[in-house]
Amino acid sequence: MEIDSSSMIKPETLSTRSSSPSEKIHLRPMTLSDVDDFMVWATDSNVTRFCTWEPYTSREAAIAYLNDVVLPHPWLRAICLDNDRPIGSISVTPVDKIRGEIGYVLGSKYWGKGIATEAVRLVAAEIFKENPEMERLEALVDVDNVGSQKVLEKVGFVREGVMRKFMYLKGNVRDMVMFSFLPSDSLH
Amino acid sequence: MDAHDFLRWAGDDRVTGNLRWPAFTSEEEALTFIRDVCLPHPWRRSICIDDRSIGFISIFPETGDNRFKAHIGYGLSHEYWGKGITTRAVSVAVSQVFNDLPHVLRLQAFVQTQNKASQRVVEKIGFQKECLLRKYTYLKGQIYDVFVYSLLSSDLLPLP
Repeated sequence: MEIDSSSMIKPETLSTRSSSPSEKIHLRPMTLSDVDDFMVWATDSNVTRFCTWEPYTSREAAIAYLNDVVLPHPWLRAICLDNDRPIGSISVTPVDKIRGEIGYVLGSKYWGKGIATEAVRLVAAEIFKENPEMERLEALVDVDNVGSQKVLEKVGFVREGVMRKFMYLKGNVRDMVMFSFLPSDSLH
Repeated sequence: MDAHDFLRWAGDDRVTGNLRWPAFTSEEEALTFIRDVCLPHPWRRSICIDDRSIGFISIFPETGDNRFKAHIGYGLSHEYWGKGITTRAVSVAVSQVFNDLPHVLRLQAFVQTQNKASQRVVEKIGFQKECLLRKYTYLKGQIYDVFVYSLLSSDLLPLP
């Protein structure tokens, strides 16, 4: 991927290359000063519907989450529009030596514009170069979360199957769809 | 007491090659393993002929919020392969386990794609093949594709 030297983007920033989605996005590390933007999506029950966590209700809890989880995370990025303010986040969490699990969350105001798809595409294009030991990038999606399944399919993840009664979510045991993307797979 | 019989199959790489166990080479290693891993295990049984251990079946539930799902693993002494023994033993184990561990809703088996004999065991018992997971398991220096099979406690309910 070419670095756009005219705007001095740091190596850890990944940017949209193609003309879709309708708005240009880039990925960058999150900081504590992102807390108020974080609250916009983290307090929204539409956003947290398929998350294991409940919507945040206090700024203190959000700051604790940023300190305890986000800042020490091995690979987590804010999804940002041109103004460099986060509208969501995307992360790859190591499961073991060869597997990473991708997860993403986006403010509901920005749904339906291809933004999550572009963020996942950027990550899938770069993550294996940054983590050469990783052989498999996987995602587990609730059977009812059709929007998120479409994101992964559009990027080129392979739908491997449905695992019945696989994940505990807010008092229920859910069927989950497993997707994967390998270094040898092609991005759509 | 089982250490000598245990070693006959647990020391055989044909049996333990697909498992996360090392192949044991001494009775002392075997005894240590039995003491430290098998005895405290939540659900582990020897497959026996004439009360001598010729293999094992092990059910290990996950922890915390995930304790509703459990992995099943099994191994059988090589001289007894090909007689349907594992299928019978696992079939018995499965019905006992849902009784003994009532919080377990899902039994899952992750079987390497080249291990056809093991796939036949779970298929004959009625596990459902759910997925082919590519490059999923890192074991003893190699990376493997696996099939995921599951049997739910609700799969065993009698039809109305």
